[in-house]
Amino acid sequence: MTCDEVDGRRDDYADGSLSEGEFQEVELHLSTCAACREQERRLRLILAEARALPRELSPSRDLWAGVAQRIEAGRRGRATWWLGLAAAAVLVGAVSVSLLRRSDPVPVSVSAPGPVTVPVSRVSLPREGTTLGAAEQEYERAANELLAALQDRRQSLSPQTLANVESNLAVIDQALTEVRAALGRDPGNKDLTRMLVSAHRKKVDTLRRVVRLSTSL
Amino acid sequence: MIETQIAGIGLEGGLIQALSDADRRIAEGRLVRQAQSGDLFAFEQLYRENHRKVFALCMRLSSDAALAEELTQDVFVRAWQKLGSFRGESAFSSWLYPLTVNVALSERRSRRRRTSRFFATDDLTAFDRPPETRAPGPEAGFDLEKALASLPPGARAVFVLHDVEGYKHEEIAGLLDMAVGTSKAQLHRARKLLREALES
Repeated sequence: MTCDEVDGRRDDYADGSLSEGEFQEVELHLSTCAACREQERRLRLILAEARALPRELSPSRDLWAGVAQRIEAGRRGRATWWLGLAAAAVLVGAVSVSLLRRSDPVPVSVSAPGPVTVPVSRVSLPREGTTLGAAEQEYERAANELLAALQDRRQSLSPQTLANVESNLAVIDQALTEVRAALGRDPGNKDLTRMLVSAHRKKVDTLRRVVRLSTSL
Repeated sequence: MIETQIAGIGLEGGLIQALSDADRRIAEGRLVRQAQSGDLFAFEQLYRENHRKVFALCMRLSSDAALAEELTQDVFVRAWQKLGSFRGESAFSSWLYPLTVNVALSERRSRRRRTSRFFATDDLTAFDRPPETRAPGPEAGFDLEKALASLPPGARAVFVLHDVEGYKHEEIAGLLDMAVGTSKAQLHRARKLLREALES
């Protein structure tokens, strides 16, 4: 077998799809041809690297909002009877909070999320114009309601799942504690206020999803 | 420190990943059925579980991060539209990834038409590059992702599907609407170019 003939069979050889006879012929050639052995070594290295490439990559931004918007737009474009259902299914409500003034109490602007079609969504969140203190109370009340709902559904989740959820919640609670302490040292700091509200949102969002997930099991 | 902690939380990876295997299968099946009945929240969970893999595939097929993000969104919008055809006989991901390939390569085909750059899949000489454009660098510093990005689109697609994603030539031929022999020829071309790129 010549080098060209080996080159023509290199892929099948590497993929293990050669007949036994051809396989032996390629093996024989490789045992005597350093150049073909080098090409074979490079191919093996490339294939090993290809298999080792990460199967997941993260986009630079959250793409879901765009997906949801397009789906909703498609729903709105359908028959009239479908419109009501589409409107009720706007699930990508986001609570955006911004600090308005450096005064005490600190007012925050909160836009409430759209309704969610599961019982846990009945948990309400702070309304626009709520002060930071009042907003914190609202988030804590919402989180407590969701925690109670989760408690009722604990048996539907595996211990591993519960452990992961509790671990995440502990991290959020630790973040809340640290941000509150930092705000105590620097009251009215806009960045800290945003971080505090963001942590509250993550906690409520996490709980909401977990409770929702538990109802699907 | 605090920011890092907060950023590290979240649901980008999806909650199903936190479940045991048995719980995961049950949860995915229920989420699919809920999504099929119009529950967008359930569909979001499926998105959270799968979007990173979809993005990775789009990224490798397009070699363009911004385009890959658009394609990822296109894939999930298309998946929502076609969700009724998923019968749950396989994992949701097994249904989603061929759809991803179709969306990504349809975009490539339409873009190719727009730019009037046509590469006949049987004419592999069109993919030849002059030696000076080959990826340089010592073997130790070989970056397969960068080398992949430098491949001609058709050869890259076949290499990604066969050697990264594990598709068979017969499956690739169906996905890319080409003959099995063409798929094998494209793979041979891709591997040859990568071996050359590996050469210092």
